[in-house]
Amino acid sequence: MSFSDIVERIKGVRGVTEVVTSRSALFITATADALKPLAMEIYQIMGGFFRTCIGSDERSINNCFAIYYIFGLDDRGLNIVVKVYADSKKPELPSISDIVPASDWCEMEARDLFGIEFTGRASYRLILPHGWPNGVHPLRKDYSYDSRPVTRAVSERLTLVDTISTVPIGPYHPALHEPEYFELYIEGERVIDVKYRGFHVHRGIEKLGESKLTYQQVNFIAERICGICGFEHSTCYAQVVESAAGIEVPERAKFIRSIVLEIERIHSHLLWVGVVAHLLGYDAGFMHTWRIREHVMTLAELLTGSRKMYGLNLIGGVRRDIDLSKKEKILEVLDTISKEYIELASLMVSIPQVRMRLKGSGVLYKEDARKLSVVGPVARASGLRRDVRKDLPYAAYRYASFNVPVYDDGDNFSRLMVRLDEIKESISIVKQLLDQMPPGPIKVEEFIVPEGVVAISAVEAPRGEDVHFIITGHGRPFRWRVRAPTYQNIPALKHMLKDQPLADAPLTIASIDPCFSCTDRVLVIDSSGSKRTLKLGWGLG
Amino acid sequence: MKKNPLSLLTIASSKGRVTKRYPFEEPLMTSEFRGKIEIDESKCIGCGACVNACPPNALELLSSSGTKTLRYFIGRCIYCWRCIDVCPVGAIKGTREFELATDDVSDLYELLIHEEAKCSVCNSPYATVRIVRYVATRSPSTEGYVSMDPKCRQEKFVKAIEMRFGGLSA
Ligand code: SF4
Ligand code: SF4
Repeated sequence: MSFSDIVERIKGVRGVTEVVTSRSALFITATADALKPLAMEIYQIMGGFFRTCIGSDERSINNCFAIYYIFGLDDRGLNIVVKVYADSKKPELPSISDIVPASDWCEMEARDLFGIEFTGRASYRLILPHGWPNGVHPLRKDYSYDSRPVTRAVSERLTLVDTISTVPIGPYHPALHEPEYFELYIEGERVIDVKYRGFHVHRGIEKLGESKLTYQQVNFIAERICGICGFEHSTCYAQVVESAAGIEVPERAKFIRSIVLEIERIHSHLLWVGVVAHLLGYDAGFMHTWRIREHVMTLAELLTGSRKMYGLNLIGGVRRDIDLSKKEKILEVLDTISKEYIELASLMVSIPQVRMRLKGSGVLYKEDARKLSVVGPVARASGLRRDVRKDLPYAAYRYASFNVPVYDDGDNFSRLMVRLDEIKESISIVKQLLDQMPPGPIKVEEFIVPEGVVAISAVEAPRGEDVHFIITGHGRPFRWRVRAPTYQNIPALKHMLKDQPLADAPLTIASIDPCFSCTDRVLVIDSSGSKRTLKLGWGLG
Repeated sequence: MKKNPLSLLTIASSKGRVTKRYPFEEPLMTSEFRGKIEIDESKCIGCGACVNACPPNALELLSSSGTKTLRYFIGRCIYCWRCIDVCPVGAIKGTREFELATDDVSDLYELLIHEEAKCSVCNSPYATVRIVRYVATRSPSTEGYVSMDPKCRQEKFVKAIEMRFGGLSA
């Protein structure tokens, strides 16, 4: 299908009122009736992926609520944004979750935070806590960022069905590093279903960015969305504002961003390999992976000023340059880690017990991966060749040649192999970019961000694609939405855990390399109280 | 090398101990590390540029009768050094200090008190004495109005126009 064919097909859908093309995206405005046919066309017929949907309170501009659905035609590097308005008094839209299962969470997020109802599906609270009052929607513009509604304490327990044993894990549990709640339903040794309730560590970052901070300040707060891959968030945010404002970032700054992004991927994957070794009871492997990782952390500090929370990005470029002595240091560290890490990794995957635990466990089939539009190593271990660095190249990735490792088995072993291979690729990317780095300035200082511009940016974080969406406002974003990779991957856990032995559950959960605080950047609830009956279905509601 | 689980022992023994005996040894730290900031009392003019740039509100400018206080709360500081980037007089310096834990929260506050300048016409406070001095020495052409608050400045300007052209409206 050629580009003009795509545009023609979309224009042919009844209810499409406007199609605007830009460099890397198609912006479509449509009526509510056109939503399902459009979703069918883009997701099912054209084979697009679903990135996320975004609610927005635009009553002050056009007296309506709006939802933006972002689809991605990865193979042609094209984003398709569909905008649909909802009535300001009774906001209601048809749900597309039957056509696009991946839209389950973002619809419920818009329902919680904006009060937009979705018809034709079961609704539940995803973000807001149980005890949060009904009818209070914190991302609406008439809700002030510092208001504190009166909430009640309500039990987290979701389901207790007499005939099935329930194993609750969390919200505070020694094996979980962040507050999250899983309920595993067990028959004998087998997991037959899972429920997940997260969003306990909602920090209201988007609200803060829309009402208190300035454009440059948001950058530093965006970096704090995640404690492991924060630099991806700050890069993604900087890029989305730069794209909205048409800022040309100096080439050298783009190279520095890509180099530091890859350094972050190396330390993140090494961290994960260590955690998996630990979960397998192979603590010696854990210690040694982290010993190797330490070199990378020190390197990050040398380049940016901090082991984590680099504070390197600004809108318009970066704050620190990589000089000759730093370049030499990078090469030295990369040499050390590539030798040591290859030795350790090949040792680890050769251990029979490690192979036995990982092979064939936690399988995510390609069809399910595609239905849920999963991202990152989880997608690539299930045979989907998705990588934003290739599909929608940003920063300096177009100057590096690298492979996107893809494995087809969809099991925990494949996810390990994807990450091990990616470390090698990252080392090679950093070396290539260091060689080609052009001289010149590293930031532009003067720029104006016009109001009312919509932009999207995606960055391939170690866990998958980060997506940032912005509608620019006066001095700060009017709407800023962050979609972390784990947000897209958690719903797949249901498929990965089902029919698996209980003992593999912690490992499988860890295999998506979940980062809950990323996912929770935004605040789950059942207004009827604590009891719910078991339903098998899409999502982990 | 043939791999078996015991190969790790070879790796381990060749590496030896890698952890530091901190705090009995120097911590692992590079020259580039960003720590706590230090504000030079003699240079700061109390302009508030750092306050506007500081992402987590670690710097605040508090007004009370006759004074303006620049308050640095280390408990909120994220050590980003944005304040250093924006300070017009280079009053802030970054240090590599990070051992800041304390059992007394008041240790985490640093105060810098500025005297407030009063408008020469209406006597209401409008800036710090040092800002007025800074502006006056930087651009002497402001001499006629630098000692007034914005409201009186505006009135003076309108009056001047009236004297020359007989008013702003035609
Ligand atoms: S920016 Fe500099 S001069 Fe202005 S208040 Fe801050 S420290 Fe003082
Ligand atoms: S270092 Fe950053 S957080 Fe700390 S006072 Fe300066 S601007 Fe604020």
